[in-house]
Amino acid sequence: MKAYLTRHAQVFMRTLGDFARSPAATLLTVVMIGVTLVLPTGLYVGLLNLQRLTLGWQPRGSLSAYLAKGVPHATVIAAIRQIPGVASIRYISPAEGLRAFATSSGLGTTAVVFRHHNPLPGVAVVTPLGTKPSSVAHLAAQLKTVPGIAHVQSNLAWVKRLDAALALGHRIVVILAVALGLALILIIGNTTRAAVASRADEISVVGLVGGTNAFIRRPFLYAGALTGGLGALCALILLEAAFLALDGPIAALDRAYGAHYHLSGPDLSQALGLLGLGALLGWLGARIAVGRALRSRRI
Amino acid sequence: MIELKHVFKRYSLGTEALSDVGFSVARGEMAFLTGPSGAGKSTVLKLICLLERPTRGQVVVNGHDLARLRPHRLPYFRREIGVVFQDNRLLNERTVFDNVALPLLVAGMTGDEVRKRVLAALDKVGLRGRERGFPLALSGGEQQRVGIARALVHRPALLIADEPTGNLDAALSDDIIDLFQEFNHHGVTVLIATHDLRQIERLQARVIRLGEGHMVNAA
Ligand SMILES: Nc1ncnc2c1ncn2[C@@H]1O[C@H](COP(=O)(O)OP(=O)(O)O)[C@@H](O)[C@H]1O
Ligand SMILES: [Mg+2]
Repeated sequence: MKAYLTRHAQVFMRTLGDFARSPAATLLTVVMIGVTLVLPTGLYVGLLNLQRLTLGWQPRGSLSAYLAKGVPHATVIAAIRQIPGVASIRYISPAEGLRAFATSSGLGTTAVVFRHHNPLPGVAVVTPLGTKPSSVAHLAAQLKTVPGIAHVQSNLAWVKRLDAALALGHRIVVILAVALGLALILIIGNTTRAAVASRADEISVVGLVGGTNAFIRRPFLYAGALTGGLGALCALILLEAAFLALDGPIAALDRAYGAHYHLSGPDLSQALGLLGLGALLGWLGARIAVGRALRSRRI
Repeated sequence: MIELKHVFKRYSLGTEALSDVGFSVARGEMAFLTGPSGAGKSTVLKLICLLERPTRGQVVVNGHDLARLRPHRLPYFRREIGVVFQDNRLLNERTVFDNVALPLLVAGMTGDEVRKRVLAALDKVGLRGRERGFPLALSGGEQQRVGIARALVHRPALLIADEPTGNLDAALSDDIIDLFQEFNHHGVTVLIATHDLRQIERLQARVIRLGEGHMVNAA
């Protein structure tokens, strides 16, 4: 086992040595892979940010239950509380509603007209436990059967549209990731093919003295994984730079809208995941290329 | 150790290189394979180390019927023999040490054992102290001796050499062949392809003669 590890460590160090000998070519490949990976990764992280942002906008899929006139609100609230799947209830009395209306409409004084005859009903704002559109719809249907509730209004259509948009975004990210992952495999496959060709002499001599295909493959696989991993690192650096550049404008938006939104780049686990994926795809590209080259050898 | 029976070899496009060749070399024996240029000497050696396969006939080496050797066993078979090439096939970007160490590294040997064996092999061929140098900085004779050290470092039971003295002057040739004879005295079976008649006369070794792909003597 120790000998096995020593052997791998030696091959790994030799791979690093080969990289150091041709820094320009290696750098070019690494940057090429970085640029290839930065697009889907950037979109993905952007999408996560968007999702977080819209979550902050409003309790997702809340329902407004309008009480019938003259019904004691405590009874209705108690009945709603019995329904499973309700996360929270906030009751807005007609008086509160009028006050809010007066402020937000700017009709502060005019609203005084309604002081003796308030036309607004009481409203129970119900937040469901589930965030899926189907569970929101189910809760809406149940609320309608509660005696004393005149009308239920949901933000379901809006929720559905947002979900559809985010799902589309995710789908686009997946398609891009698959396409550009394939591109990475091709880039490294091609680099490996060239490396195998330029070391044909060495490969044939190693074969002559009894090297197995696994032994011949090993340095190329390390080189592929290392190139893929470095390419992913390059993508992370590019991404971090892009987020840094966006930080200023976002902060300006923050001030303008009084919102507190902070743009966040990939976290540690996402970064490690990307590095691992880059290394894995690089290994795969090298494995395919060197496997083809070895099969085409005679005997 | 080596046995060829009714071996024919026709290259994909072209002449019949070997027709009905048969001979055997016993364990511990040293033999020369000789004949004019184009007689098929190199072809015979390629069949023995499985760089080529015969069109017809049987080749048995160190107990392996080569036609039946499974592809994944080929590397392990190659480790049982040592081969010296006329153009020595050294890796010019690797040091002398690394070149000689290669058969040990591919067999999974590491560390001090590799170092000990490589230095011992270089000592045997008279190149101790040159291990840090690169092949192109050596003379033709020295390069050939690096090739011999590489063929012997893993202590194979069989050593085959294709024109090992082809590019060397008489004195150097004598040294190289004497080296082979010394290995033979230590129990290694040796087969050398050469058209260097001087060596054949100098040593009292067995001679297998080929002429245009046929056996000339069936001894
Ligand atoms: N790879 C090859 N393809 C086609 N013909 C070959 C090949 N190798 C050798 N030959 C032919 O086979 C014959 C024997 O060659 P070779 O074994 O090299 O003879 P020697 O080593 O005795 O000079 C020659 O006619 C040569 O041209
Ligand atoms: Mg020849």
